[in-house]
Amino acid sequence: MAITFNADTTNGAVITSDTSGEIELQANGVTKAKVTANGLQDANGNSLRGGMYRNLIINGDMKIAQRGTSSTGQGVSEGFKTVDRWNYTVGSDATAGRFTLTQDTANAPKDKGFGYCTKFDCTTADTTIATSEGLVWRTKLEGQTLQAIKKGTASAEQITLSFWAKGTAATYAVELHDEDSNRHNTQKFTITSSWQKFTLTFAADTTGAFNNDTGASLAINFWLHAGSKYTSGTFTSNTWASRTLANIAPGISSFYSSTANEFFLTGVQLEVGEGASDFEFLPYDVQLARCYRYYEETLNNLCKSFINGYGTHNGQKVLNAEFKATKRTNPTVVIYDASGTPASNKLSTYDAAGTRTDGQTVALVQADLQQIKVFPNNGTYSGIGFYYTADSEL
Amino acid sequence: MYKKINDIDTGNFCGVLKDNKFHIPLDEANTDYQAYLEWVADGNTPEEAE
Repeated sequence: MAITFNADTTNGAVITSDTSGEIELQANGVTKAKVTANGLQDANGNSLRGGMYRNLIINGDMKIAQRGTSSTGQGVSEGFKTVDRWNYTVGSDATAGRFTLTQDTANAPKDKGFGYCTKFDCTTADTTIATSEGLVWRTKLEGQTLQAIKKGTASAEQITLSFWAKGTAATYAVELHDEDSNRHNTQKFTITSSWQKFTLTFAADTTGAFNNDTGASLAINFWLHAGSKYTSGTFTSNTWASRTLANIAPGISSFYSSTANEFFLTGVQLEVGEGASDFEFLPYDVQLARCYRYYEETLNNLCKSFINGYGTHNGQKVLNAEFKATKRTNPTVVIYDASGTPASNKLSTYDAAGTRTDGQTVALVQADLQQIKVFPNNGTYSGIGFYYTADSEL
Repeated sequence: MYKKINDIDTGNFCGVLKDNKFHIPLDEANTDYQAYLEWVADGNTPEEAE
């Protein structure tokens, strides 16, 4: 028999919980959704807050890897290796620790919907940790994408970072670093050999607004290894404060403690508000297009294409190529010729019969947000061609 | 390490070439150009354009 609730004249229809604090919606005796102190949730406790592009992080599921899928001998200096929008950084003291970084499919939590994860595999241990050593897995976000957080105002919102992680048992830290105001907020998490979803809600910060521009405003830093410069202070979880390096990572494990160590990460999502919703899976083409804003290339297999032809500009031969997406800022460009092992800052030329000559000199490269112009040294050839990388990363 | 690049038309300083590989624009939002400016601020001098 249906039960009908009728509103009274002052409060509308009101259902209040018992002392558990939850109101469950059930069908056939099975909980389908519930109202909790953290808002509306599904039966598994995921927030039912919806909306497209609610995940502020691009490529949080590690799906796109234009630069390649594996890179060995890492740990010497920072760089973007494998998956897009993620790079690792090191401290100013060199570490003997090394690792292989992989866009991994074999270990991805496919039963959670993820086809990819990043895998850190320690290949050289470092148990003598110098003061300024570090290993941080990081992505940065533009300020203009963060305005809904209302940081630095009286209406500032909480933000929730969720991710899936596993690996050799360890405790690591994740730091939100406001690079505009040099403030930070850090929380720790402890991984096991099984995949876990971590949901970390960070307090609202009424101090220090994010710039509304294309610059880096927020870094999400996963600290996996740190010297005393970053560990000698006092750890205070989930508290925004002026960034004090010594307070970032006290008490974390060292990824470099053993060559047996591994760390896996995927499904990283940052959203406005308290509580994590299910990970927002974007179609591959949409995800790739979003990554193009920061980096694109025609060199590797993912999107291999060779640009050739030419026009003239004031009598100077020139070849234009339109970018696949408008760049965040004017990009740094590298030009490669068409040889089997492409040489950088070289291009290829063609004679009238179409015979290619590699290793030709690049006179000038100009790039703006939409296109690249490549000028070769003038000569007696009928065409020019090149591969390129264009980097506007944060 | 760094070499200045001049525009073909105007001859004006228009970019920086790093390690004879990376063409860096004069754009302060570009992180490579930011690194170049820090390098110069540390007292270093780029090679002049040809």
